[in-house]
Amino acid sequence: MNDGAVYFPASRPWIEQGSAVRLIGSKCAHCRAVAFPPHPLCPACGAESGQDAVQLSPVGTLYTFSEIHIAPIGFATPYAVGYVDLPEGVRLFGQIESRAADLRLGQQVAVTLGPVRTDASGRMVVSYKFKGLP
Amino acid sequence: MTLAMIAGVGMTKFGKQAERSIEDIGREALVHALKDAGIARQRIEEMFCGSSYGGPLIGQRILRDLGMTGIPITNVENACSSGAAALREACWAVKVGRADTIAVLGVEKLTQLGGGTLPLEPTDVEVNLGNVMPAVYAMRARRYMYETGATVRHLAMIAVKAHEYGACNPNAQFQNRITVDEVMHSRMVADPLTLYMCCPTGDGAAAVIVTSERRAREFGAKPARIEASVLQSGLYKTGFRDMASSELTERTSRLAYEAAGIGPQDVSLAEVHDAFASAELMYYEALGLCGKGEGAAMIERGDSGRGGRQPVNPSGGLACRGHPVGATGVAQIVEAVWQLRGEAGERQVPGAKVALTHCTGGGISGLDHGACAVHVLTS
Repeated sequence: MNDGAVYFPASRPWIEQGSAVRLIGSKCAHCRAVAFPPHPLCPACGAESGQDAVQLSPVGTLYTFSEIHIAPIGFATPYAVGYVDLPEGVRLFGQIESRAADLRLGQQVAVTLGPVRTDASGRMVVSYKFKGLP
Repeated sequence: MTLAMIAGVGMTKFGKQAERSIEDIGREALVHALKDAGIARQRIEEMFCGSSYGGPLIGQRILRDLGMTGIPITNVENACSSGAAALREACWAVKVGRADTIAVLGVEKLTQLGGGTLPLEPTDVEVNLGNVMPAVYAMRARRYMYETGATVRHLAMIAVKAHEYGACNPNAQFQNRITVDEVMHSRMVADPLTLYMCCPTGDGAAAVIVTSERRAREFGAKPARIEASVLQSGLYKTGFRDMASSELTERTSRLAYEAAGIGPQDVSLAEVHDAFASAELMYYEALGLCGKGEGAAMIERGDSGRGGRQPVNPSGGLACRGHPVGATGVAQIVEAVWQLRGEAGERQVPGAKVALTHCTGGGISGLDHGACAVHVLTS
């Protein structure tokens, strides 16, 4: 999507299944800890190998959120952000395609892809985001 | 091991000082501290300088102009805790007997960054996706309010208290009083945090002279004892963490209370890292000044305000004294020493015997905060 756009992270750790977006994290073969973005070493037990790719759920729970009105250059204010808990035990930070007034703690949100900012060259940066589910 | 003591303190007024160089700002604070201690520059055996945005060799650039070069100079960067981390290094250098008299400086010139939210590390995942420091605190605030029943009005009361104290501090960036309504209706920064719930951008420096117990007796000013000097870092977690409390501040303060042999009930006053009003509420709990979920009740009772049981941030805190990042940890110590000496003027906490300072912060993905430093001082 978005020809001419750049992606963050550049490795595009996600797959699209129809309208669902699944992020790809890593799971430690030794302690079973899941991390996103994928880690080369296990941040939980320190294992130096056995960090296997794992597809994460496309839907999570909104732990908390805010709406940012003052931001660095490249971000279009206001924009909502939050922490989303996935069932695999991973908490993700990301932008949310909703106004803060329409969000509530504990609601379900889906992973999606979309623009998050423009870079220093004016190119659109695309990354994972979230959208509220009814 | 010998005890480390504070033999002299000094600071500049905090605020926007765009026309001055950072070296000039740092020099002023250090000269004040040397005069307060009543010692000659030549007596300083080492120097630790805390700064987050001051650039390479900030300590050398400041001492050069004072003719104090040649001694070991160590520059310390630890985000908001830079100055407090520099002090910890000095404390331990004295305690293990490496030096008898050390200068500690915290200095920052944020006006050189051009305003707005603080620039964060461009390699950080969350920073790339649009996280900023006010939002880090705003998201914690929302979860805290959800879990405890605290309201936006309680956050505004914290800001009002900060301004009441700031109005009594001639070194504060903001010396005006405000009302709850003014705070709640100031412009939105990161929902639910409005402008007056956020600390300002400013410049300033603070300095202290750390000495051994033996040497302190030779100096002029009444020394304060450093009973605890503790530094910790946040734990990295990829999974769930409780964002309605601060594990890092709880852990650091527990170690400090143990080292000092006191409990939270013994604290006469605390200088706490209120970068945002919601953080002060959460730190009341993390420091043990009140029970879990009782932060809102503490500000409602007035326990932490003027004339309260345990005044918090009599200097005006980061909200009103200001927050030139690397200078803050040392400025907290300066206020603590003035309070313990009974030299804090209009904002003096009567009979202050034990002062706690708490400095934390640093936005980094997956960590509660980058660093946290807690010091306990007694008269």
